[in-house]
Amino acid sequence: MEVVLASSSVDGGIGCWDLHTGAEQLRYKSCTSPSHGLISVGARFIASSQLRDDPAATGYVLYWSWSKPQVEVKSFPAEQIKPIAANHPGTYIAGGAPSGDIYLWEVETGRLLKKWRAHFRAVSCLVFSEDDSLLVSGSEDGSVRVWSLFMIFDDLRCQQASNLYEYSFSEHTLTVTDVVIGNGGCNAIIVSASNDRTCKVWSLSRGMLLRNIVFPSIINCIALDPAEHVFYAGSEDGKIFIAALNTESITTNNYGMHIIGSFSNHSNQVTCLAYGTSENLLITGSEDGMVRVWNARTRNIVRMFKHAKGPVNNILVVRRENDSSNHISSNVQASSRKQGSNLPPPLEKYANSIDDDLDMKTMISLGGGRRSVDPSYLSSHVISNYIKELQHQGSAAASEMEMEKLKHDYQKSVQMANQLKKMNENLHQFCVKELLDGGQARTLDEDQN
Amino acid sequence: MPRSKANNNSKKLKGIDFKKIRRKVGRKLPPPKNTTDTEIKSKAIVLPEQSLAAEKAGLAVNKKGLTLKELLQQTSHHNPKVRRDALIGIKDLFTRYPAEQKLHKYAAVEKLRERIGDDDKVVRKSLYDLFKVVILPCCKEDNQELIVSLLMPYIFNAMTHLVVDVRMMAFDFLDLILEFYPPSFSPSYAEKIFQNYEDILVRNQYYLQDKGKLKDALAGLVRCLSLLPWNKEETDLHNKDATGQRVLHAFEVDVSMSSNGFSCIIKNLKDLVPVLINSFLEFIPLVHSMESLEGKSFGCMISILHSIYLIVRSIAYGTDKDSESPSSQGGPDAAVWDVNISSAFLKKLFPRFPLNPVDHLSEKDCDRLFDLNMIVAKIFFELNEWTSLPPNLLETFLEFFENALLGKFCRATQSGKAVWEECLVQLLSFIPKFLSRGASSWTSRLLQAFTQTFRESKPGSLLKLACVSAIEDMLTPIESMLSIETSNPENLELQDALLAWIRELPLLLIQLGDKHPTCSQVVLRLQLRIGQCSLLNSSLVCMYDNTQYSLLDFYCTCQGGQICYGPFLRLPRESQELSLCSLYYFSYLDLPILKSIACCCLSADLDPYVLFRIIEVLHSAYRDGHIKIADYLSVFITLVLRFKVSPEIGSAGFKSDPLCQTLKSMTTVLCSYMAQMGDNSLVLQIVEKVIIDQIPQKPSLDNSCSLLRMLVTVDSKPTRLSEQSIIILGQHLSEYLMDAVQCIPEDGDEQGTPSIQLSTRHYYLLPCFFLFDRCHKLMNLVLKRMGSAITESSLSPISDKCTQHTRNCLDRVNAVTSVLFLMHKDAKLQPIMSLFKEDIDNVIHKVFSLKTSGRISTTIEERHEIQCAFEQLKILTG
Repeated sequence: MEVVLASSSVDGGIGCWDLHTGAEQLRYKSCTSPSHGLISVGARFIASSQLRDDPAATGYVLYWSWSKPQVEVKSFPAEQIKPIAANHPGTYIAGGAPSGDIYLWEVETGRLLKKWRAHFRAVSCLVFSEDDSLLVSGSEDGSVRVWSLFMIFDDLRCQQASNLYEYSFSEHTLTVTDVVIGNGGCNAIIVSASNDRTCKVWSLSRGMLLRNIVFPSIINCIALDPAEHVFYAGSEDGKIFIAALNTESITTNNYGMHIIGSFSNHSNQVTCLAYGTSENLLITGSEDGMVRVWNARTRNIVRMFKHAKGPVNNILVVRRENDSSNHISSNVQASSRKQGSNLPPPLEKYANSIDDDLDMKTMISLGGGRRSVDPSYLSSHVISNYIKELQHQGSAAASEMEMEKLKHDYQKSVQMANQLKKMNENLHQFCVKELLDGGQARTLDEDQN
Repeated sequence: MPRSKANNNSKKLKGIDFKKIRRKVGRKLPPPKNTTDTEIKSKAIVLPEQSLAAEKAGLAVNKKGLTLKELLQQTSHHNPKVRRDALIGIKDLFTRYPAEQKLHKYAAVEKLRERIGDDDKVVRKSLYDLFKVVILPCCKEDNQELIVSLLMPYIFNAMTHLVVDVRMMAFDFLDLILEFYPPSFSPSYAEKIFQNYEDILVRNQYYLQDKGKLKDALAGLVRCLSLLPWNKEETDLHNKDATGQRVLHAFEVDVSMSSNGFSCIIKNLKDLVPVLINSFLEFIPLVHSMESLEGKSFGCMISILHSIYLIVRSIAYGTDKDSESPSSQGGPDAAVWDVNISSAFLKKLFPRFPLNPVDHLSEKDCDRLFDLNMIVAKIFFELNEWTSLPPNLLETFLEFFENALLGKFCRATQSGKAVWEECLVQLLSFIPKFLSRGASSWTSRLLQAFTQTFRESKPGSLLKLACVSAIEDMLTPIESMLSIETSNPENLELQDALLAWIRELPLLLIQLGDKHPTCSQVVLRLQLRIGQCSLLNSSLVCMYDNTQYSLLDFYCTCQGGQICYGPFLRLPRESQELSLCSLYYFSYLDLPILKSIACCCLSADLDPYVLFRIIEVLHSAYRDGHIKIADYLSVFITLVLRFKVSPEIGSAGFKSDPLCQTLKSMTTVLCSYMAQMGDNSLVLQIVEKVIIDQIPQKPSLDNSCSLLRMLVTVDSKPTRLSEQSIIILGQHLSEYLMDAVQCIPEDGDEQGTPSIQLSTRHYYLLPCFFLFDRCHKLMNLVLKRMGSAITESSLSPISDKCTQHTRNCLDRVNAVTSVLFLMHKDAKLQPIMSLFKEDIDNVIHKVFSLKTSGRISTTIEERHEIQCAFEQLKILTG
């Protein structure tokens, strides 16, 4: 099932609709998200950063499971987090702060792995590359930077290198509003949109500007065509422009160079865009709180969803599997049995101390693909926690471990009992045979007498 | 004699034996019967003449009557004079017949190239002129590479000739080829070229007594070194931008190939350095001994230093790519050559620095010495980038640099100052590189000297432009140092320097005006960069925010009602865009700067595109909390209220007036921004009093319409306007409505189609209709006011102009009738009008009494108009 998630900057919750049937699913409560602040972590749960009224307040990141409308996990990072991104398997979450820092957490443990100064001003958007080895960030200072996670976690190279980033593109003159990255791994293209009315196409392999497209109005959001022939740009004046990527310059046009068409949203500002690949649908969110589903080929509205009174500022298309419903039901039983939650723990506020760091090493491995698989590993932190709990006899986990041990011992005892029974039967048969042989011997003695 | 005797004897013997029969063959024998008569009769027979001269008819010849083939053969003649004449003849032939040249240029080049190594000087000179003036310009249109491949082997052969003059001339031919086709400087040729240059310089002592020839050879070497790919990075980057317009995913191979191909010549370049240094050292005694520097010697020294500088750059950028390659042979090889190169520099060239002038030298020679010193400094700083040099030498060069920045070498003459500026421009780019290598005791002194140069240089000059570019390059290392947030005294010095530069930028913009758009654009881009990274620490934020007060003159200032526009209005659009983006990065925008920008927006010279960009940028700044809401709304109201539309009230003006369209579009944009602000009631509280106070001032119709539209945007149904506002609007909306219907022509007007007129009229009335829908009391007041207007007009005293008075009265009646009719046609207002039937009846009664009364004298036509108005009003109540 492919679902559309929408959130807003006013407290209207997170709307969820089936993309094909249009039926509304659960509406998840208590969400006031900034732009680029709504993600699905490995299609396992929903995470969103929250807007705070007080600038000095700490950050606020919430988790929802698919089956419950209530918030299940609350996290309080050290400072406000606005854009967040998760890699495709859902093992890491990256968050951007108004100070220009980027935080990176491990999802399973909530541990803060790294925090680094990325930009001079607030981070406005974050996106992982297709193979999850690169993180692309856009900022209010107009720069787009590409970070290699190998470099981030290699302390020796961090000290030697003059810059942490792989590339820094600084051609935009105003805030970067959206960044998308294409397919192709290290040869991918990056498209960035800005308040300066331009979209720029960058080459990831060569680190240079490939194309500069000037639009008639401010571009708020971009969505890439999966074949990368065109990209769609949502603007402040309500139009959705179609910009060509794979052609030479087109000058005979009403809008500008490289812009091959547009379709209109009736003057409501387009605030977010997403592309649904199964049926070539383009999903837009606008200022009036409506979510529109367009057929990208015919440029007609296929469906409309009513979200909230305030503007929609996040649109997400997630492919939920049918197995996940069974998984969720089994998880519900398991959670009711354990009286605990199946979601990971909250994100940490600060990094751990140096003593703990000595035992732990972060390994960056490439994801096998977009299909999410539940991780079957246990991190060293969890194992060390189990060790500590086993040392204390009273904890529930230790009791469960002992229960398993007792079950194991019971099975062994049952086997021992069976063996003893067999030995007893063997002995009985042996005695019977012995008695019969003695009787025959006497008969022979009588014959001799 | 014996034969004749034998013949006579045989004849005699025949005569005796047989009788000779005498027959006359031709005359007596009759012709046979089948004979054909072949006799030809004609009056004259003309035979064509055969000679060598006649064969040249139709062929191209020069003035001496020689063909191309003959001339090409004569170029191989053993007599030099004949060869020279042949070359002159070919030049004459090609000048006369350009088509002949195109047809035979390859054959001609194949034959002529042998003369590059000719023994005679005049022949070589003629050949050079022939190629320069005639052949090479013609070959520019098509396949140039073929011509180059034909010529290059013979040029290389001549470079190794035994005669020195032939060698030097070969270098001239090489210069000509490179000028004609720069891509011919390919890796395969470069190696041979540099080897030959090295040979010619090594033999300098024995052969080259003439310094003019040495100067020419060195100038050629500089040109060849300039053609290396890493020495023309800026040009390549510019070309790459143009190629960016191509297909994005196109396959490209050539870019990396060309730069890799030249790496093999690094060894040749390293061999050249000691030779060049030795040649330079031979000129050093001239500086101290001779009365004055010769022009040629100075030219040789300049060219030698330029060559060394370009070679150092080549080794640096070429070696970087070699070191990145995984082969292990490059490492120790580069280390070995580095030792040799460094020792050559350290022992021979750098200890001589600086070349101090002798007392008796003239000012011109002092300028020349300064020029030489500047180039040596460039070589040192470039070399210092990729290898560590001794600290005492570094101090010597830094002291020279500081003195150069402070202008201690500057002379009073204009030419001396120009030389100083030109040299200093090239050295300024090394300050950012030196800064990024780390702090030292010289950093603060160098920055102070740089700041002084930046302040004192003339606006719009190359030196000022170079200073701004250097500041832009220095931003990155300064930012990375300041972001550590330590209270290091060195960081404080960096911060002080940065603050001094920030303070200077607005003043520089105002001084530049609109006469130096390129320099203004660079300054504006630097200001934007500083704004983008100004959150590093609080003092930087304060300094950047304070520059907005200095920028007032850049936009607009009002001094006692007199408006003085700054250079912003006259700059190109790209510069205006950069300036507007800088506004976004102020952490707060205060009222003076907003007022200045608003005045700019109201100028008639401002492009509408820039006007909408200003509004967009201000909206982004407000959304991020940089502008207070009251100040922001004040800008809106000022723009709407003071925007001047054409004063013509005729109907033609409304159709095609661009200013009117701009005001409409601006009103639409501003209303949508006001709707996005969130709390409409708060916005209404801020805006209401100002708008209500302005409406009685009777602004123009368009401005009033825009004000009312803004009011309607933030109002709600039922209305939130105060009682006092309702009373004031009630008194003045009737005037507005009547003016609106009067200024826009009727439906039946022949000047336009009815639908356009109706929609135009409806545009002006719609805000009032919204207000009436939301507040019935306001409608009541307006209706009463309109009735009073009719009464007042009729009761006004009759003056001498009786006709004018009647016309005014009739205009008012017609206006009221039109307004009521349009209100009746509106879907939302029709039910409300029934509530106020008494007021409408009152209006009808007043019109009737006006008609029947004898207060005004009316003609038949005027009475007819009143009758029509009366009947229209009756329809409304029916």
